[in-house]
Amino acid sequence: MAKTVKLALAGEGGQGVQSVAGIIVEAAYNEGMEALYIPNFGVEQRGGVSVAYCQISDEQIGSPKFVYADLVIALSDRAVRRTQQYVNKNTVFIYDSSIEGVEKDLPANAKKVLAIPALDTAKKELHPRVFNVIIMGAAIAVTKIIEVEAAKKALEKKLGYKFEQDPKLRELNFKALERGAELVKDLV
Amino acid sequence: MTEKPIQGEKRVFMTGNEVVAWAALAADVDIMYGYPITPQNEVMHYWTRLSPKYGRGFLQTEDEISAGFTTCGGVLSGKRAFTATAGPGNMLMQESMTMAEMMRIPTVLVVQQRGGPSTATVIYSQQEVTMTCFGGNGEGLRIVYSTSTHQELFDYTIKSFNTAWKYRFPTFVLGDGYQAKMRESLYIYDPAAKGIVMEKTVPYLGQEGTPGVDREPQHLRNTYNTEEELNEQVNNLVAEYEKIAPEVIEYQTFNTDDADIVIIAHGVVTRAAQAAVKELRKQGVKAGHFRPVTLRPIAAKELKAVAGKAKKIIIAESAQGQLEKLVKDAIYGIATPLENYFRPGQGITSEELVDLVKKGM
Repeated sequence: MAKTVKLALAGEGGQGVQSVAGIIVEAAYNEGMEALYIPNFGVEQRGGVSVAYCQISDEQIGSPKFVYADLVIALSDRAVRRTQQYVNKNTVFIYDSSIEGVEKDLPANAKKVLAIPALDTAKKELHPRVFNVIIMGAAIAVTKIIEVEAAKKALEKKLGYKFEQDPKLRELNFKALERGAELVKDLV
Repeated sequence: MTEKPIQGEKRVFMTGNEVVAWAALAADVDIMYGYPITPQNEVMHYWTRLSPKYGRGFLQTEDEISAGFTTCGGVLSGKRAFTATAGPGNMLMQESMTMAEMMRIPTVLVVQQRGGPSTATVIYSQQEVTMTCFGGNGEGLRIVYSTSTHQELFDYTIKSFNTAWKYRFPTFVLGDGYQAKMRESLYIYDPAAKGIVMEKTVPYLGQEGTPGVDREPQHLRNTYNTEEELNEQVNNLVAEYEKIAPEVIEYQTFNTDDADIVIIAHGVVTRAAQAAVKELRKQGVKAGHFRPVTLRPIAAKELKAVAGKAKKIIIAESAQGQLEKLVKDAIYGIATPLENYFRPGQGITSEELVDLVKKGM
């Protein structure tokens, strides 16, 4: 990897962006890379836009926050509006296709803007609970920070105790990871 | 004896609050006193999770006023004790920290700065510089380390206990919400494995023997009756503080030898400044960076020498001139033009600093 990959994940509190960001950086760290992750949220206990800033690099990382991201994933209308500021001509901007009323708020200066049916896929094909893992699969596929296998290992580490109780959960999560990657295959 | 919390050295990936808890464990801290406030809550959470395994204590107090004073109390009884807070909590701890200044109580306080004034944000700022250095009624006779990475957070948390107990001035580790909440890699270690010897702690009160017969009596005072008496006491404290200052002062320089433009920044902003200097040098710009590690006492002589040679100084901080006040005081008398980059409550990136330097050329 030649440079630092910068990733901003944003959603409503409770959508799981922070846990996904945590798993991604943990996986990168386990693969021997330098990783820095900083959560950002307001004073509210529930709700509000929650942003996860991640940077992954082969050398030590500078300031924890960044000006422009390589990849932005926004999972709510407010998140779409909030994250425009991190977009420039090198940014891939992904949002969920179920978000309504944001047509005018989508960044015009991005390298690529893509709507993916992550929420729909989670609900219809898998389970709403693995929505964020679909997002994780998409993020990994676009940035190529880590291999899918490393992501699976990180999931295993984080959720292994649950997988032990119910092996179907493992299958569901791994499937979600792969589906996430498929949703962005046109970009890769 | 219980097992050491960390054997040798190991690489880990964790949040800054967790780092502080591990550092305090590794530094053989006996007890933490605390009251929750974001963004330092997890210092307490991790400490309460980890400390019982190693026979260490914890007391949650009713507020920060109490947390500060119980920390003083713990130290008076000879315990290696600390507390942690942020923002409005830091304010409430100022009274106890001035008592620590007056009575030379080696308390350690870890501050994870949040936005201000008032409740403001729970995220990040560098707006507690003035308060942490000079917050009380009195002369700011304290030692303040401003950290920038998780590695430093670990190193300086351990070091702060030794500094406090060696010099007997209240010692602060000044972090921020970014450092508190972010995750990055670092090495945690058993101080002994690095040849670090922890300063011995002794009780101020309740020592063996009869005072005046077997030993000198302990006379701990924070109350004085006459102007002259107080003036003499403060003069003595200031003289001792100034005597130890040269030993305590820490700073770092990056490409300052031939620098035309010197960026002065502390804490987490030094990361942006270091990266900016690297980038600017690549582009052929003679940029340098001076970073005070101790904000109190500050490396005034060294800063003045660097600033005096430069053609321009830029002070970058996530506050409205709190570092600038310290810097101006230190460099009084030099004529180098000065530019400010103040972003109260907001993070600063290397890209912004590179743009700023180039725009001014």
